[in-house]
Amino acid sequence: MPRKATASSTSPPGEVDAPRITTAWRNRFGTIANGLLTLPALVVYAGLLVVPVGFAVYYSFTEYNGFPSSPPQWIGLHNYERIFQDPAGDLHSSLWVTAVIAVAGTVIVNAAALGLALLLRRTTRFNTFARLVMFYPRVLSALIVGFLWQAILGPQGAVNNLMERAGQSTLPFLADPEWALVTLVGVIVWAQFGVQLILYLAGLQAVSAELQESARIDGASGVQVFRHVTWPALAPTVTVTLVTTVLSLLKVYDVVLGLTNGGPGDATQNWAYEILAVTFAKNDIGLASAQAVLLVLVAGILSFTIIALRRRAEAGAEAIG
Amino acid sequence: MTGKRMFPKAMRVAVVAVLCAAMLVPMYIMVVNAFKPQQEILRSPLGLDLSTATFDHLAAAWQSTAFPVIEGYAVSLFLVLACNAVAIGASVPGAYAIARTPTPLFAFLLMFFVAGMFIPAQIILVPAIFVLKALGLMGTFPGLVLFMSATMIPFTLFVFSGYIRMLPRSLDDAAAIDGAGRQRILWTIIFPLMRPIVATAFILNTLSAWNDFVSPQLILGPGSQFRTITTGVYAAVSTYSTNYEIVFPTLLLAVTPILLIFAIMQRHIIGGLSSGAVKG
Repeated sequence: MPRKATASSTSPPGEVDAPRITTAWRNRFGTIANGLLTLPALVVYAGLLVVPVGFAVYYSFTEYNGFPSSPPQWIGLHNYERIFQDPAGDLHSSLWVTAVIAVAGTVIVNAAALGLALLLRRTTRFNTFARLVMFYPRVLSALIVGFLWQAILGPQGAVNNLMERAGQSTLPFLADPEWALVTLVGVIVWAQFGVQLILYLAGLQAVSAELQESARIDGASGVQVFRHVTWPALAPTVTVTLVTTVLSLLKVYDVVLGLTNGGPGDATQNWAYEILAVTFAKNDIGLASAQAVLLVLVAGILSFTIIALRRRAEAGAEAIG
Repeated sequence: MTGKRMFPKAMRVAVVAVLCAAMLVPMYIMVVNAFKPQQEILRSPLGLDLSTATFDHLAAAWQSTAFPVIEGYAVSLFLVLACNAVAIGASVPGAYAIARTPTPLFAFLLMFFVAGMFIPAQIILVPAIFVLKALGLMGTFPGLVLFMSATMIPFTLFVFSGYIRMLPRSLDDAAAIDGAGRQRILWTIIFPLMRPIVATAFILNTLSAWNDFVSPQLILGPGSQFRTITTGVYAAVSTYSTNYEIVFPTLLLAVTPILLIFAIMQRHIIGGLSSGAVKG
């Protein structure tokens, strides 16, 4: 730590005037010193994450090309109008792509993760190995995952090559707009569900084994035990996994870049791709900022909606636990 | 257990085995094709003919000017360590102050940090670039480290403050009576007790810094002398994405060390992830 808080230490007992320092004084010093302790984190976080959000809000009301020679021109809500009216006709399709990735991805990732967590619940050697195999894509960079699947599913990739050799027609995994979007979601699921699997496994450990056992003794079937005991008790985990999946799927960029580079055409250009690779690349900082502001808003609103909606389910979990 | 009744055991093992194979096939394809010339890759993407297998393409990827492998590793490693040092170093005192000051102001401060977890970092990078420019840090390594640390601080500080709350306050008081100052209490008494949660934060921050592509690409710039693993792979592969002689060996070089580290550290990585999630 570079800084030291000199006034912070409680006065040493040996000092003569120590008793004269009143508790109120000490408390106030304590608060200031504690405030100073938060300063490094506050400066870095606010300076490079919160201030940029403020800049984004400001730029979103301006026309700005990012060059210091031409300062931002205030144009009010024009950038937002451009997004809603979409004169160039590319933003609405990227909204659709983002929604498909977020909704379909979240559902499939969580269903796959929960299903496998139930299958891999017991700690046997086989299950531990399987968990590792499901999880390992998480340690790979999303960009590399994209490039790898591109090499496998591309027009000349491994799969199509094999099919051609087998005398079958090739499949347009990445060449057809609709196929490409489905492939993209598939690759994202492949890369991401392992993380949520680990979270579900951790959540399952917290489910009371006695409760499940007594439900079974009372004659409940496996499905009934899951529906009435396990699933409600998992509620807090489900909230965490839903929020983290939605947040991470809203902003996917690297995997798109590696897998399809937004193509064919703009079939797999999602909102993040639009911001970083299209609008920002055209130096349209005002529009890029408006898009960023909207994405931050949507991410925040969706997270809080999920958390609020899950409150009731979690209250049920507490009642059971 | 539940699974047993819903699903017979043999079927369960079969389903899991098939899924494991599906998870591993891409790795298999990457590895075998890294040792084959282009025609061979196109002719039989799954096979490996040991008589024609060659290290030539791997060597070429190793010497690639677009992606200097050793330097890429050095840069990525340094980036990971620097970001962790800044993020953890700044979060420990911040979390300590927040955890030990039960006033509304500090409760609000915690919420202010937590809100950062909902900001998608790579999206806010565009305006952050202008902040970095104003600070004269654009295109520099310190600028990159500061931005990436800023994205790590919310989660790190949040889990730290939750952990410090569980440490008894009497520890602080006893040390204070013995004459230890605040900094001393923090770094010699509290910090050593935080080892498990520091390890969790370190692992998660390391994974996100190591795999980050957008921040180094945009902050350092595509023409930068510094290439991380990710920006190096992008420089080497993106324009030659159908030249599999380049793609597979480059990807193999890029993923082998991290996979080895994962294989060795898997218990800590997975354990850290689940404990972080439970606390988050």
